[in-house]
Amino acid sequence: MSILITGRIFALGMLILIWIFILGNMETAKKQLPPFRKLTGLDALPEMVGRAAEMNRPVHFTTGLGDLTGSVAPQLVAGLAVLAHVSEICANYGVNIIYSVYQAQVMPIATELMKEAYVKAGKSEEFQAEDQVRYLSGEQFAYASAVQGIAERERPAANIMIGPFYAESMLFAETFNRIGSIQLAGTARGYQIPFFAVICDYLLIGEEIYAAGAYLSKDPQQAGTIRGQDYGKAVVLILIILGVLATAAGSSIIVDLLGM
Amino acid sequence: MSTTLKKTIPVAIVFVVAMLVMLDYFLVTPPVDVAGKSWTSGVVKDLQNWGIVLTAFALGFGAVNLFYFHSKHISRRTPGQWMFSIWLLIVIVIFTAIGVFTGPTSDQYNWLYNASYFALSATVYSSLGFYMTSGLYRALRIKNVESGIFLVVGLVVLARNAPALSVYFPVLGTWGSFITDVLTTSAQRGIMIGGALGAISLGIRTMTGRETGFLGKMTEEEKGGGGTA
Repeated sequence: MSILITGRIFALGMLILIWIFILGNMETAKKQLPPFRKLTGLDALPEMVGRAAEMNRPVHFTTGLGDLTGSVAPQLVAGLAVLAHVSEICANYGVNIIYSVYQAQVMPIATELMKEAYVKAGKSEEFQAEDQVRYLSGEQFAYASAVQGIAERERPAANIMIGPFYAESMLFAETFNRIGSIQLAGTARGYQIPFFAVICDYLLIGEEIYAAGAYLSKDPQQAGTIRGQDYGKAVVLILIILGVLATAAGSSIIVDLLGM
Repeated sequence: MSTTLKKTIPVAIVFVVAMLVMLDYFLVTPPVDVAGKSWTSGVVKDLQNWGIVLTAFALGFGAVNLFYFHSKHISRRTPGQWMFSIWLLIVIVIFTAIGVFTGPTSDQYNWLYNASYFALSATVYSSLGFYMTSGLYRALRIKNVESGIFLVVGLVVLARNAPALSVYFPVLGTWGSFITDVLTTSAQRGIMIGGALGAISLGIRTMTGRETGFLGKMTEEEKGGGGTA
């Protein structure tokens, strides 16, 4: 009996290869911080919070319909990394940040990391968990309506949406645009990216949201993982080109390899 | 809080759980039961059940948060908010009472859900059409060369989907199909591949304790040293 499951052997090989790339680059990055392409949306975060401070209005943050156990969990974790960073900027600027929660299981984590951000800024007494971390609903459109309600009633000066978004993406982006919020949106869900691109001021596309934590932390080892990921992309690109050439030549070698 | 409690233990838990799930997905690990399932299958199933139990607890936490937040608005008579807060709490109590006394799969509960939330949900979803129209108006304004190309491409796809136009101008079907099947699909796949690699990278960072966003803000010392740069 084979220990490897048929149909998943190639995927396992690729995972191990990418893991090697990432760990190798984490080590080399200790000596020198790899260069980062600028992510305008993340660079604009202090400006967005600063605008909220000038207007004396809150900042709204949400991570969409993310949960911690499904396939979209990495997007939620990426969103939480940005939440921690934005919370610290808000604490430093004295701006109220509202985090709208869809999945109740995210609440304790979000509460803890926002509290940590306020403590780090030396303003722990200003953090009001019950007011700032708001559980809205576990139903998609009830949550969407509640976020729209927050937008209409409290008129946040900035709206940041990073995570997995579905049909509510357009409802949020349009509502916050109408009340004059400056917006940063990021998702890896391909169907929602165009909606955000049309309306929001800043956009993080696909993999950029996963790189956000590394980008904001300026940690060399985290930056190294992004470089390792780029090596993985190069391997995929080579496979695509080989696949196109092999298929054009009538060979199914790459297709068979992927199906191993 | 010590680094052990704050970082080491959570990261160790994440690492062990992630490794178990990956082992179960990729490998057949003996001992195997009569159904041909590895020992890890049972462990992963148990872990998923724990997740469900924890989610149920968290839901209680969410309900407490809702009651606290909205009770405060009611007691303060917050303008534009307190009457909605009252209504929300009434609805929560009604749903909870009927759910508890008749069961969440009873006819009464189903009727209540379908007659109230289901209808409202469909209404909100339908309103998306109007939002999309205003978004489309904003998208199809020529501001530079890129937005000009976007306008042309958008109009071709829009015209392709209008039945009358595609009957009179069949070429729109060919152009539209090329745009959606070749250009859009290839771009979407590029984003998808990049996203998948990004998720793997984030997973490895999280498992190795380098990505600590979900654990809160940490100092370099707590992270375990951040290198030289």
